[in-house]
Amino acid sequence: MRVVLIPGVLALLPQHASLHDPVAELRAAVNDAVSRLGENVEIIATEQGSPVAEAVLAAVRPAATDERSVLVVANGSACRTEKAPGFLDERAAAYDDALRRALTEDPAALADPDAALAAELWADVAALPELAALVDGARAEVLYDDAPYGVQYWVMCWQVEE
Amino acid sequence: MTLRLRKHRFADDETLMMAIVNRTPDSFFDKGATWAEDAAFERVRLVVEQGAEIVDIGGIKAAPGVEIGAAEEKARVVDFVARVREEFPGLVISVDTWRAEVGAAVCEAGADVLNDAWGGADPELVDVAGQYDAAIICTHTGGVTPRTRPYRIQYDDVMRAVLDDTLAYAERAHAAGVDRESIVIDPAHDFGKNTFHSLEVTRRLGEMVGTGWPVLVSLSNKDFVGETLDRPVGERLLGTLAATAICASAGARIYRVHQVEETRQVVDMAWTIAGRRAPARAIRGIQ
Repeated sequence: MRVVLIPGVLALLPQHASLHDPVAELRAAVNDAVSRLGENVEIIATEQGSPVAEAVLAAVRPAATDERSVLVVANGSACRTEKAPGFLDERAAAYDDALRRALTEDPAALADPDAALAAELWADVAALPELAALVDGARAEVLYDDAPYGVQYWVMCWQVEE
Repeated sequence: MTLRLRKHRFADDETLMMAIVNRTPDSFFDKGATWAEDAAFERVRLVVEQGAEIVDIGGIKAAPGVEIGAAEEKARVVDFVARVREEFPGLVISVDTWRAEVGAAVCEAGADVLNDAWGGADPELVDVAGQYDAAIICTHTGGVTPRTRPYRIQYDDVMRAVLDDTLAYAERAHAAGVDRESIVIDPAHDFGKNTFHSLEVTRRLGEMVGTGWPVLVSLSNKDFVGETLDRPVGERLLGTLAATAICASAGARIYRVHQVEETRQVVDMAWTIAGRRAPARAIRGIQ
């Protein structure tokens, strides 16, 4: 099974294209990751993240594979700086560090996220429990890990033996 | 329609800044600031740096004044065109002239566009454009003699007159061998028009764009702006830019201007609001 995690960044949508792509590096990583998925992809995302998943899938040629393919849309806090959408919250960096550690080392820790804290930090983590169940025991390959606009983005891939 | 200015091609969604470069001692805005050849050349360098795609080189001011014969006009512009051509191979060179004789000489020197601001006063200018595969700007002047001011000109419908004359001129140019992609129409604000005419032409510019021919507008610091706002030359930039925004919203493709950077910003803004251009870099609220 192939599992990919991307953030639900609306700037990835074609209708929000700029002359100079403000998320060029992120987009490159997303395209790289998503192009590893097969033709029929299961999407795990919130209502906000689903159109992003569909748009990025439409933008790349699917891999020639029969493996189950899953695309998960989630991201960390949106409170990393004063310019961040949710303004600076001093708890945000530690929160994102803990999420990163769980994603890369201990997916089981994502099974029951603190929904109240996530809401306070504007984090989109609703899909992470399902992700945790899928990738537990597999190693994450991190293609992107940054917070360029005060929002923590990750692009990660898992190859899960079934 | 794709626009071709001799060897330079531009896609449908591109707008172009045509910077005015006067080789005259007496034009109304710069008052001879670029009369000396080196000063004019510095002006070319500056506007290229500012992003102008086209320079429009003129050897005779539009208003009445001392008569300048073809020989003197050529002396002012031909060698200058050659010099600009040599230093800026990627720049579109337009020459503001109504004379076929001058047109041929500047095309020979490397000009790409003949800007006939006087609306076909010399019927052979289109033949020259055809012969050199140059582009031509077809303007409306209401049939006035070059370098005369409008006096009590009346139209039943000024935009109808503009459309009739510029479209007829465009067809005449095509019949003379000018490629359809190389024909531009221009309502020519203030030429053969009082302020009310120029305002109406601005308001109804969409009718020209609707013909499918690329539209050029020359609004920069003109009297219709000055009279509308009661501002002398030198205080007309804001009014010019407001008119520019209206024309850009309507879909004008080429802007003949004194102030390149300011106009570029206004055109880009209006063009983007109209949905014909993406924002430069938008991330607010979608990160």
